[in-house]
Amino acid sequence: MIDAPLNVRLKNLKTGELVEAVIEPVVVKDFTLIKKSKDRFDKFDWSKYKKKEVYKLRLKEDDLIVGLLCLIDHDDPGVDAIEIELLEASIENIGKGKTYDQIGGCLIAFACRESFKRGHGGCVFLTPKTSLINHYASKYGFKYEPIRTHGRPNGFMVHYEEGARKMITDFL
Amino acid sequence: MKSKKETEKKHTPKEIAESIVFPMSADANERKEMISAFSEIRKRYKEQQSEESKLIANLLQLRFLIEDYLKANSFNKELYFGYFLKEYIVRLEKKNKQFANEIDVDPTELSQIINRHRKPTDKIIYRLELHSNRNFPAVMWFKLLEKEREYELMHNSAIIESEKKYVKEHLPFSF
Repeated sequence: MIDAPLNVRLKNLKTGELVEAVIEPVVVKDFTLIKKSKDRFDKFDWSKYKKKEVYKLRLKEDDLIVGLLCLIDHDDPGVDAIEIELLEASIENIGKGKTYDQIGGCLIAFACRESFKRGHGGCVFLTPKTSLINHYASKYGFKYEPIRTHGRPNGFMVHYEEGARKMITDFL
Repeated sequence: MKSKKETEKKHTPKEIAESIVFPMSADANERKEMISAFSEIRKRYKEQQSEESKLIANLLQLRFLIEDYLKANSFNKELYFGYFLKEYIVRLEKKNKQFANEIDVDPTELSQIINRHRKPTDKIIYRLELHSNRNFPAVMWFKLLEKEREYELMHNSAIIESEKKYVKEHLPFSF
């Protein structure tokens, strides 16, 4: 499998300009940088994911990391999918007043592309918090697949071939 | 690290869903149970997935593999034009002869291209674009050839040596 950086474009909401960015694997020195700028990535302790498959979305102009993504490749034929274990846009790019749009979309679309590339047919899933189910569905077109574990309702947000293809068309 | 509750105080659920994915339970047993439940969902989907959808997924895989190979700095001599062409034909579940007929090419010529005994003509490359309904554009196939050519030029020292005798003058400096 050849891993090449993936070029994307993000919209600067303050200037209206499209800026060049790239999605590529996080390297050891990036984890140090992320730890130092923990005020920008304050939701998770990314250093715990050093041994996992972690990607960064960085701006080409100044190398600023604006998004992080952790994937799990389930190559067991029964699962045959990519799991988005963790995703975080940098703090200045969440909510009202954010600078760059589509960080989450680009990273999810990247996961969809990887799923096709690795032979999982575009299948990508994540486990949603209950309050976010409808929003993952409306924003990114995920399908909600409910299940019941430990006697409590739970479920997955899933992209299959068609949904994954649409994500790639819309965001990459 | 900020807790989910703190995040929820600052942002609406819509804003959170746009930019954050929280991890699944860290409890190994619960996780195992969840993945097992997902397998059932996956199995159901596969049972009802259409043949067209499977074909699209297979061809997209091939296209993304080619795209990434073209972007990579490395050259792999196993990943030549004919290799990817053969993959395209196999994924369509066609025989070489049938495919050759569909693009009106002599089957021997197609076989020679696949087995690296002959370079494809421009016409064949344009026909590949048309056959794939432009999902595999001609420029992509040309770039594969270009990558092969670049490697050949850089590594064929015998040609460079044999051509030296024809060059009577050369620049006295190098940059």
